[in-house]
Amino acid sequence: MSRRYDSRTTIFSPEGRLYQVEYALEAIAHAGTTLAILSPKEGIVLLAERKIISKLLESSSNSEKIYKINDQTIVSVAGLTADAEILIDRMRNDCQQYLKIYNKLPNTMQVVNKVCDFKQGYTQFGGLRPFGVSFLFAGYDSLNGFQLYSSNPSGNYSGWLATSIGENSSSVQTLLKQELNANSTESHNDITLDDALKIALKVLSKTSDNTHLSADKLELASLSLQSNTNKPTIKLYTPKEIDNLLNLHDLSKKEEE
Amino acid sequence: MDIVLGIRLKDATLIATSKAFTRGISILKDSDDKTLNLNKKNVIAITGESGDTINFAEYIKGNVQLKGLREGHEMESDEIASFVRHELARSLRSRSPYQVNLLVAGVNDKEEGFLSMIDYIGTRCDLPYAAHGYAAFYTMSLLDHHYREDISLDDGLKLLKLCEEELNKRMPMDFKGLNVKIVDKEGIKVIDF
Amino acid sequence: MSGYDSALSIFSPDGHVFQVEYALEAVKRGTCAVGVKGEETVVLACERRTTLKLQDPRITPTKINKIDYHVQLAFAGLNADARILIDKARVEAQSHKLTLEDPVSVEYLTRYVAGVQQKYTQSGGARPFGISTLIAGFDENDKIPKLYQTEPSGIYSAWKAQSIGKNSKTVREFLEKNYPKDELLNESETIKLAIKALLEVVQTGAKNIEICVMKPGIDPRSMSNEEIEVIVKEIEDEKAAEAEKNKPRTTE
Repeated sequence: MSRRYDSRTTIFSPEGRLYQVEYALEAIAHAGTTLAILSPKEGIVLLAERKIISKLLESSSNSEKIYKINDQTIVSVAGLTADAEILIDRMRNDCQQYLKIYNKLPNTMQVVNKVCDFKQGYTQFGGLRPFGVSFLFAGYDSLNGFQLYSSNPSGNYSGWLATSIGENSSSVQTLLKQELNANSTESHNDITLDDALKIALKVLSKTSDNTHLSADKLELASLSLQSNTNKPTIKLYTPKEIDNLLNLHDLSKKEEE
Repeated sequence: MDIVLGIRLKDATLIATSKAFTRGISILKDSDDKTLNLNKKNVIAITGESGDTINFAEYIKGNVQLKGLREGHEMESDEIASFVRHELARSLRSRSPYQVNLLVAGVNDKEEGFLSMIDYIGTRCDLPYAAHGYAAFYTMSLLDHHYREDISLDDGLKLLKLCEEELNKRMPMDFKGLNVKIVDKEGIKVIDF
Repeated sequence: MSGYDSALSIFSPDGHVFQVEYALEAVKRGTCAVGVKGEETVVLACERRTTLKLQDPRITPTKINKIDYHVQLAFAGLNADARILIDKARVEAQSHKLTLEDPVSVEYLTRYVAGVQQKYTQSGGARPFGISTLIAGFDENDKIPKLYQTEPSGIYSAWKAQSIGKNSKTVREFLEKNYPKDELLNESETIKLAIKALLEVVQTGAKNIEICVMKPGIDPRSMSNEEIEVIVKEIEDEKAAEAEKNKPRTTE
């Protein structure tokens, strides 16, 4: 029955739904999990799990899940990597264009808004399929401080204290809720960046299909403020640093006996 | 020979423009206003080719307000100055460049005064006090001499009076007095001068 | 239903443009929005989708948006579509001011928004906007409140009070029953009626209501959760008192 509405481009089904968009969401539900936690005062942590297809694959130095957009914004991706690269390219370009005109980087919400407007276009005009990508955006600006957003193929976006996209995202979110409640007796406001890091790793270790986390399957990044200059700084963790963290929190692969 | 003057105070900015509207050698009007309020905390004073002035000022205002509405947060002084400079530099390289010089006056989000001087070739300079055109010749020495980092509003106005007197004495033309506006954290007000 | 609904927007033999009708279904799936006019006041109120525990209300986009300093727009339907339409409206409002010096009138803006919506029902290669809007505000130098509605088809209409989105029928019936026939509502009565109407379909109370009050010549004001809470409480108390009053009578 619904065949007729999904073979073409994005048009409304009789119930007022957009099947192409819903199918794009489906594509994302199979992508490697990525999650983010906001520490309102100290920064944001992004953690992503890659799906390694073959052992022969050169574990390239460039990341495939987490990307830097500008000096105060990073994103992590769930979905079709090729689609994501197009959007990331645009975002980077837009930000520099903005910098050229206003001598200042755009506020995080503007970055998100702009790329989401672009995504929306692909759900409304004929002959095009929607972008099969969801993003988590971690950003800082002087107007709203640290901010965490998620966006999806429909072009919708919303702000979060902690969230997740990709495979198992709903169970990750449930766990995040539990962990964050257990951790902060007061409010979310007092969560430190270290707490956030720990919780992120812990939650992923529980939900991951892999029995043990290891650095070659993870990408980790954080956004915080430099203590001396108060300027935003981005840290992309090296495999070695990730291993150290896993060891520290007792989540690494157990030594073989 | 329009006069455009600005003085930056600690938490506000003063801007003064001549009231005469001239065309060729005639004065057509003695109540001209060469300023335009862009939003609650920023104003521009503009001189140059008549017609270009209004057109450019209103174009800037439209864009400043649009961006404010889009982002739910009004544009700040330094963003506006940067945007204006960008537009003038772009226009300069087009077929019909805008021939306007202007001052951007405002208070920023930290409630500090802000003053920026921008000319038609896209030069921008943020300054404690500034003037365009011939007025600069006669007033710069006064401003150099009397300006202090922490100058009060009263002293700022007195300094403007001195400038006006000097201009009246030296300029070959009657500029019909000055329109004075102040921008502070409360907004933009016209001052009886 | 034999192929006439799958091409973008063409007539079926019995005269339907199905894509437009389906777009209306998308509107019905969106959260409810209400607009109410009073004397020198107009209020827009929206149901906020249940904010999930980990959502950050500070930076999540709202459903009531400023188009110009004197006009607000609330919508029901696809959020992303709304953003695009809102941006078009904002550009038009400023462009109007640039060419004609005067700010847009509320009716002009409504006509523009409806015009854009209509264009997307007739031009090839695009689907219609999946949103209805309520546009409210005041014209320049005027104290008469204005409230309009637009639909995906491009129809627009003026209202004393109106609702769009999920369960809008229930809310409209409530408004029809409770909107005073002769006298005009003052500010607090207008706000109260809007909230009361919305409470017909919003069970969770104040924290899921977003409300914006407009008065002539003043910046539109969004009410805080606490303020709404007080009014919700008031309404609940009244309802309880009413029920109390009715009870003994029925037993007598």
